[in-house]
Amino acid sequence: MGNAILFLILAVIAIGAAILMLVSKNAVHSALYLILNFAVIAVYYILLNAPFLAMVQITVYAGAIMVLFLFVIMLLGAEESSGVLGTRRGQLTTALLLGAVLIGSFVAALGQIGGSAASSSVADTTPRNLAIILFESYVFPFEVTGVLLLVAVVGLYVMSSRLVKKD
Amino acid sequence: MNAFGLAPLLLILPIIGVLFNGIVGRYFLDADRSTGEKWSGWFGTAMAVGTFIVSVLIFFSLGANDHHAEIVHLFNWFNIPSGNFTIPWAMQLDTLSSVMTLVVTGVGSLIHIYAIGYMHGDRDFHRFFTYLNLFLFFMLILVTGSSYLMLFVGWEGVGLCSFLLIGFWFDKPKGEGILNGDAARKAFVANRVGDFAMILGMILTFWAFGSMEYEVVFESALDLYTTTETVFIAGIEFTIPQVLTGITVLFLIGATGKSAQIPLFMWLPDAMAGPTPVSALIHAATMVTSGIYLIVRSNVLFEIVRDSGHQLFGIVSAPDLVAIAGAVTAVYAGLVAFTQFDIKKVLAYSTVSQLGFMIAAVGMGAYVAGMFHLVTHAFFKALLFMASGSVIHGMEHGHHHLHEHSHGDDHEEDDFDPQDMRFMGGLREKMPVTFWVYIIGSLALAGIFPFAGFWSKDEILAHSAYGLGVGEATPVFTFVRWMLTIGAFCTAFYMTRQIKMTFFGEGRHEAVKHVPESSPLMTRPLAFLAFLSLMGGALNIPYLTGGGGEEASTPVGMTASVLAAEEDKGLNLAFEHWLEHSIQAFTLEEDFENVVGPNGEHFFTHVPHTPTSLQYDIAISSTLIAVAAILIGWYVVFRVWPRSKEDPDPISQWPVVGFVWTFFQGLPLDTLYMTGIVKNIFNPLARFSDVVDWNFWHNFVHNNLIRDSFVALADFLATVLDPKGVDGIVNGVGQTARNLAEALRRPQTGNTGNYALSLFLGVALLVAFFVFAS
Amino acid sequence: MQVTIEWYIALSTILFTIGALGVLVRRNAIIIFMSVELMLNSANLLLVAFAQQLADAHGQVLVFFVMTVAAAEVAIGLALIVVIFRTKNTIDIGEINLLKG
Repeated sequence: MGNAILFLILAVIAIGAAILMLVSKNAVHSALYLILNFAVIAVYYILLNAPFLAMVQITVYAGAIMVLFLFVIMLLGAEESSGVLGTRRGQLTTALLLGAVLIGSFVAALGQIGGSAASSSVADTTPRNLAIILFESYVFPFEVTGVLLLVAVVGLYVMSSRLVKKD
Repeated sequence: MNAFGLAPLLLILPIIGVLFNGIVGRYFLDADRSTGEKWSGWFGTAMAVGTFIVSVLIFFSLGANDHHAEIVHLFNWFNIPSGNFTIPWAMQLDTLSSVMTLVVTGVGSLIHIYAIGYMHGDRDFHRFFTYLNLFLFFMLILVTGSSYLMLFVGWEGVGLCSFLLIGFWFDKPKGEGILNGDAARKAFVANRVGDFAMILGMILTFWAFGSMEYEVVFESALDLYTTTETVFIAGIEFTIPQVLTGITVLFLIGATGKSAQIPLFMWLPDAMAGPTPVSALIHAATMVTSGIYLIVRSNVLFEIVRDSGHQLFGIVSAPDLVAIAGAVTAVYAGLVAFTQFDIKKVLAYSTVSQLGFMIAAVGMGAYVAGMFHLVTHAFFKALLFMASGSVIHGMEHGHHHLHEHSHGDDHEEDDFDPQDMRFMGGLREKMPVTFWVYIIGSLALAGIFPFAGFWSKDEILAHSAYGLGVGEATPVFTFVRWMLTIGAFCTAFYMTRQIKMTFFGEGRHEAVKHVPESSPLMTRPLAFLAFLSLMGGALNIPYLTGGGGEEASTPVGMTASVLAAEEDKGLNLAFEHWLEHSIQAFTLEEDFENVVGPNGEHFFTHVPHTPTSLQYDIAISSTLIAVAAILIGWYVVFRVWPRSKEDPDPISQWPVVGFVWTFFQGLPLDTLYMTGIVKNIFNPLARFSDVVDWNFWHNFVHNNLIRDSFVALADFLATVLDPKGVDGIVNGVGQTARNLAEALRRPQTGNTGNYALSLFLGVALLVAFFVFAS
Repeated sequence: MQVTIEWYIALSTILFTIGALGVLVRRNAIIIFMSVELMLNSANLLLVAFAQQLADAHGQVLVFFVMTVAAAEVAIGLALIVVIFRTKNTIDIGEINLLKG
C-alpha cells in the first residue's frame, strides 16, 4: 500500500497542518492549513488507487468548499478569531482527555486485531466503473442526495432573501 | 247478596281522604281560601259519610246473615311458614263491631260537617281534616280488627291522632290553661302507660294461647278452662284463671289509659285544649270508648275469671276490679265536674264520669248495658261538646266584635277567656238553637225520662242493684250501685249548674251582647244529634211489664219460658238481641250445657244475659234523684253568681259542702300524683336521668370521650398531619421537581461547546466500551 | 516496512481526534466548521483505505456521497453563520447561548 517513508512524511504534514489549523489565531491561516491538509489527503487517495477521488477532493474540497470558507471569513471580517480555548474551565482539559481516550481506544483495538493482509486484487476505480456502481447500486441514494442539495439551495434562498428583506 | 265485600272500603276511604287532604289540601287552600275549604272539608266529610254508608250496608248484611260474624281476610301481615305462624290482617264484622262502626262513622260524619263550620278560617284547615280522616282510619281498624294485634294497631293509631289533634294548635301562645303541646304530650304519655299494659296483656295472651285472634283465644281459653288444663308461661305452670286474671287486669290498665279511668284519667280534661270537634269526636264519643270496647270484646275472658272466682292477690276478682275502678271514677269525676268553670272542662270530667259508668257496667257483666250507654253517650256527649263549641265560637265572635268596635282601653279584655262560664250568662236569647239542643243533651245526660240517657243509665243501675248480669248482687255490686247513684246525682247537678251559668241570667261580659248564633253547618248536626239523644233510648227499651227485681235477682239462664217470651221481640231490647250474637259469653251456656266446670257446676250458671224488664223502682228513684239534683242546682246553688274571676264560687262558702267543693276543686288526685308520684318518684328519676343523661352521657361520653377525642384527632390532623404530612408530600413533590429542574438547568448552558463535549464524551466512552469490553 | 491498513486507521483516528478537539475547544464558528470538515475527511480517508484493502470500489462511491453532503452542509452552515452574524454581530459561539437554561 505504498511506501512507508512517503506515508509517514505525508502523515506528518497532514497532522501538522491539522494541528496548525486548530491552533491558528487567524481564521484565514486556519483555512489555508486545512487546504494543505486536504491536499495531503488527496495525495493519499492517489496512493490508495483512487485518482478520481483525489481530483474531486482537490476541486470540490480544496477548491470550492475552502473558497467558500475564505469568502465568508473575509466577508464577515472574522480573520482575528476569538480565543482558542473553551469558554468554560475544564472544557479544554476534558476535550484533550477524551481525545486521548479515543486514540487510546483505537490503539488498543489495533493491538487486538493485529496485522491484516491486504487484498491481493485491485479494484477497478476508473471513473467509468465508479459511475456504473453509482448508478446501478446507489441510484436511490443518489436521487436522495439530489433532493438534499435542492433543499439546501431552497434553504439558502430563504435565508438570503430574509436578509435582503431585513436590509 | 251481602255487603261484606265492601268492608275494605271502611279503611280505604279514610286513607283516600288522608292522602287528598295531606298532599293536595294545602294547594287548594293556597289557591283559593274559600273554595279550598270547601274541597278540603267536604272531601274529608264525603269519605266519612262513605264509611257510614258502608257501615249501614254491613249492618243490614249482618241482619240478613242471621247475625253471624263474618271475617274478611285482607292479607297476611306476618307469615312465617316454618314456624306455622301467621298474623292475618283481617276484619271481624259482627254485631258488636257493627255497632261501633256505626257510632264511629255516624257521629264522625256529623262532626266532620260541624268541623267545616267550626274550623272555618283556620290556617291549617286541611291538616285538621287530614287528622280527622286518619283518626277514622285507625278507629275503624281498632273496632273491626279480628285480633288483639289489629286492635292494638288501631289503639296506637288513635292515640297518635289524639296526640296530633290535641296539639293541633301547638303554636298557640300560652294563655289561661295548659299549652296545647303540653296537653298533647300529657295525653300521649298517660296513654303510653296504659298501652304498655296492653302490650304485656297481648304478649301474655299469645304466650298462653298461641294466638291473638279473638276466636282462637276465646275458644282455647274455654277449652283449657273446662278441662282444667294448665299452661306454662316462662316455664312456670299457671292455671287458666290465674293467667286470665293477669291478662284481664292488664287489659283493664290499658282501658283505664285509653278510656280515662282512675288511675290514668288526668290527661282527658287537659285534652280539651284541642279544637272542640276533636273533643266531641275523639275525647267523648269514640276513642275514649275503646277501653269499653276492649273489655266487651274480651267478655269471655272476664267471665271465665268471674266464674272461676279467682281473685287477684286474694282480694278482688278482675271483673270486680273493673267495676270498682269505673264506679270510683264516676263519682270522683262527677264531683270534680261541678267545681270547674271552664265549659269544656265540665264536659270533660262529665265524660270521665260517664265512662266510669260504662266501665262499671262492663265490670259487672252488663255488657249490653255498657255498650248501650256507650252509644247513647256518644250521641249526647258529642252533642254537648259541639254545642259548647258553638258557645265558645259565639263568645269568640262576640269578643272579636267588641274588640273591633271599642278601640278603647278596655282592660277587662286581657283576662277574657271564651271558655270560662263566669263570662257567660244569658246566652239563651242569643243562641236559641244551641240553647235548646244543649237542654236536650243535658237532660239526656242527666237521665231524665224519656231521653236516651235515662234508658241506658237505668239499665246499668238496675244491673248493679239486682246483679242482673251475674244473677245476684254481691257486696261489690252494692258498692257500685251507691257510687253510681251519687255519680248520677252529680251528673244532673253539674249540668244544671252549667246550663244556668251559661244560658240564664244576665250576660256577665260585654262580649255576650254581640254573640251571634252559629252557622247552619254547625247547628244542623247539632239538631240531628239532639234528635238522636232524644230517641236513642228506643234502641233498647226494656219490657215494660214482667219480672221486676225479684225475678231478675234469681239466677236465671236462658230458660225456655224466657226464650218463648223473646219470640215476640218487637222493638223491645232490640239492641240486646243484636249484640247477643257477638258477646260469646251469652251463648256459651247452650254450647257448654253438659260441660261440668271446675266447681262442679254447669259451666256459666250465671249467664250474664238476662231479658230485662223495666225496673220501676230503679227508674223512679234515679229519676227522682236527678230531678232533685236539678232543682237543688237550679234554686239553691246559684242564687248568687260569681261576678268575675276573682269572686269565689258561693258554694265554696258553705259550711260542709264548701269544704268538699274546695277539696275537689283542688283536683285531689292530680295533686296526689304531683306530690306522691311526680315529686317522689318522677323528680328523683328526672334527677337521676339528668345525671345519667347530662353528666354521664352528655358531659362524659359526648364531651369528654367523643368530642374531646375528636377535637384532639382533628387537632392532630390540622396541626401535624396536614401541614407536615400532606403538605409535606405535596410541597415535597413540587420542591423535588423544582430542585431537579434546577439541577437539570445547569447543563443547559446554551454553549455549543458544552453540548458538543457531551456528545463527544458519549462517543469516546462508547468506543472505549466496545473496544475494551470485547 | 509495509504500509498496512492499520497505519491508515491510526492516521485517520488522529485526524478525527484533532477535528473533534477543534470542534470542542474553538469558539469561532468558522473554525469549528473547518474542524468538522477535517473529521469528515478523516472518515473519507478511512473509507478509501478500506476500499483499497478489500479491493472494492463501493467504498469510493460512498465518499462521493459524503462529499456531497459535506458540500451541502457547508453551504447551509456558512449561510447560517452569515445570518447569525447579521443579527448578533458575532460568530463567537460563546456569545450565542440563547438556549441557556
